[in-house]
Amino acid sequence: MALLKREEWQGFVRDVDWSYRYVDDEAVYPEWMSGTGKVPREAWASWEESYKVSYPEYVATQREKEAAAYAVKAALQRSATFDQLDQGWKSATKMHFGGVALVEYAGVLAELKMARFGLAGAWRNMAAFGTLDELRHAAITTFFGHEFVGKDPQYDWTQKTFHTNDWVAISLRNLFDSMFIANNVVDVALQLPLVFETGFTNLQFVALAADALESGDVNFANMISSIQTDEARHSQQGGPTLEILVEHDPVRAQWVVDKAFWGSARAFSALTGPAMDYYTPLEHRKQSYREFMEEWIIDQFVHTIEDYGLKKPWYWDEFMRGLDIWHHALHMGLWFWRPTLWWRPKAGVSKDERTWLAEKYPNWEKVFGDKWDVIIDNVNANKVEATLPETLPWLCSTCHLPACNATQSRDGTWRVRDIKLSYDGRTYHFCSNGCRQIFWKDRDNVNHETLIDRFLAGQIQPMDVGGILGYMGLTPDVMGDDPDYEAWTKDYVGRAAAGTAS
Amino acid sequence: MTAEPEARELGAEDRAPELVPLNAIFATDFVQILVPVTTVNTMAEVAAAVAHHVEGKRVRALPYDKVVIFDGQRMPADMTVAAAGINPLDHVTVEYDIPEQS
Repeated sequence: MALLKREEWQGFVRDVDWSYRYVDDEAVYPEWMSGTGKVPREAWASWEESYKVSYPEYVATQREKEAAAYAVKAALQRSATFDQLDQGWKSATKMHFGGVALVEYAGVLAELKMARFGLAGAWRNMAAFGTLDELRHAAITTFFGHEFVGKDPQYDWTQKTFHTNDWVAISLRNLFDSMFIANNVVDVALQLPLVFETGFTNLQFVALAADALESGDVNFANMISSIQTDEARHSQQGGPTLEILVEHDPVRAQWVVDKAFWGSARAFSALTGPAMDYYTPLEHRKQSYREFMEEWIIDQFVHTIEDYGLKKPWYWDEFMRGLDIWHHALHMGLWFWRPTLWWRPKAGVSKDERTWLAEKYPNWEKVFGDKWDVIIDNVNANKVEATLPETLPWLCSTCHLPACNATQSRDGTWRVRDIKLSYDGRTYHFCSNGCRQIFWKDRDNVNHETLIDRFLAGQIQPMDVGGILGYMGLTPDVMGDDPDYEAWTKDYVGRAAAGTAS
Repeated sequence: MTAEPEARELGAEDRAPELVPLNAIFATDFVQILVPVTTVNTMAEVAAAVAHHVEGKRVRALPYDKVVIFDGQRMPADMTVAAAGINPLDHVTVEYDIPEQS
């Protein structure tokens, strides 16, 4: 018997559905998992991915990708490349391994849920491939990071981070639990493949691979590129889902997309921002974080949502203003609270670096320069202890990142303002109006307790810096410290310095 | 038959000090911080507790007194946390009390 041509069987195998005789549809696809809401059940039948793949094709391609990635890794394992990498770049990779490896696993759970509860056969089929993709990403990221544990114990946080109560881990768990795991599959498709992957990581991974090559880390570039090619395929689950949702419930579509974009942007400002504008050596920087966001994320995101008939999110002005503030403030916070990190944050504020920062961000000196100057003067006066924390930064009740977003007054001064909400007998504080609004609209959802909440509830003992670091799972061999104080303070040695720590 | 006298709650000044964790910011600092004080601390002590984490460390120390701003109001230096009505999780700002240029 002659084999059927691809086009003769593909339509059937990629979109299998059937009628149930023993149970009703609601029993198989309960609303709380399938989340059709105002969308009529039959509307999902039109769900169609633009790039189609069969299982044999998938396996063949993935096998090649895996073989290529591991071959490069095996070849480089015998070289001294790793030892020559800049500490700033190594920090970026540690942050990536710890912050991403188990997010890929959260992606597995999200894809599995869509593969089971998606209301179209074609969607479930695509999500099954997505599940296999994310399993591969969790495995490859964990394995590549694990290789360096023997050289540097901070790489152990590749696997450890998400199992700790480190404040960065809590913030990321809170975000990804809410975007990937806690939702019905319609909301998952909008938040994971559409906003997070199409909007953020797909493009960021291209840039990250280029940065890795620029920094001489061929192995990391190879891993990221291998992952990115999968993202480009399975991330297309978002488009068809959004198209159907917008037609029947545009208000819900707008809200879910807006919320996911905001949460993703906050996380990016904490991790990608400092890595691009401070950790990457000056000579290797191609774009500032703001330029990257504008060129790769924002233009594309706005085009995408407008193509689907949505509007710019309500917080757009606040978000755009934040591109000059959020990640710089978070970098200062990460640096000042560096014992709480599993990487070595470079301050990155030598004279040359500050010239670059001021060129890319005209308000940088005015908003951040004065604080760094005091820190620099303390380091140069051998008072490093004055640059270490003795309390916690206040953590936002929505994004769990420090409340550190200065805004400009009418008189031109920049101040961090209190953005609070009294609800159900409690006072909550937020880093921004966007986070406050999301908390208010989602207030009946289960929210993770911030580290501040846990501390004040007595969950962290003893109630001091040592107790906090222990609670976060940090051990002395891992706690972050600046890799080279002299690199960014030597330009300022000998200058007059009043008003520093006594 | 006479009624039992109602149990009267003690005034703040007669109770043992109670912990009041605050969300605080010092002048031009870049971040809000957690600062624990007690109901019997004065505003001068609150200002010093907040300044301890920031002054000379991230914000250059200036030779001026400090003032606590709560709910948009300048609080007298000798007023206690309890008397000011500052509760746990409230926000305070601490500023240098820089004299107006004449």
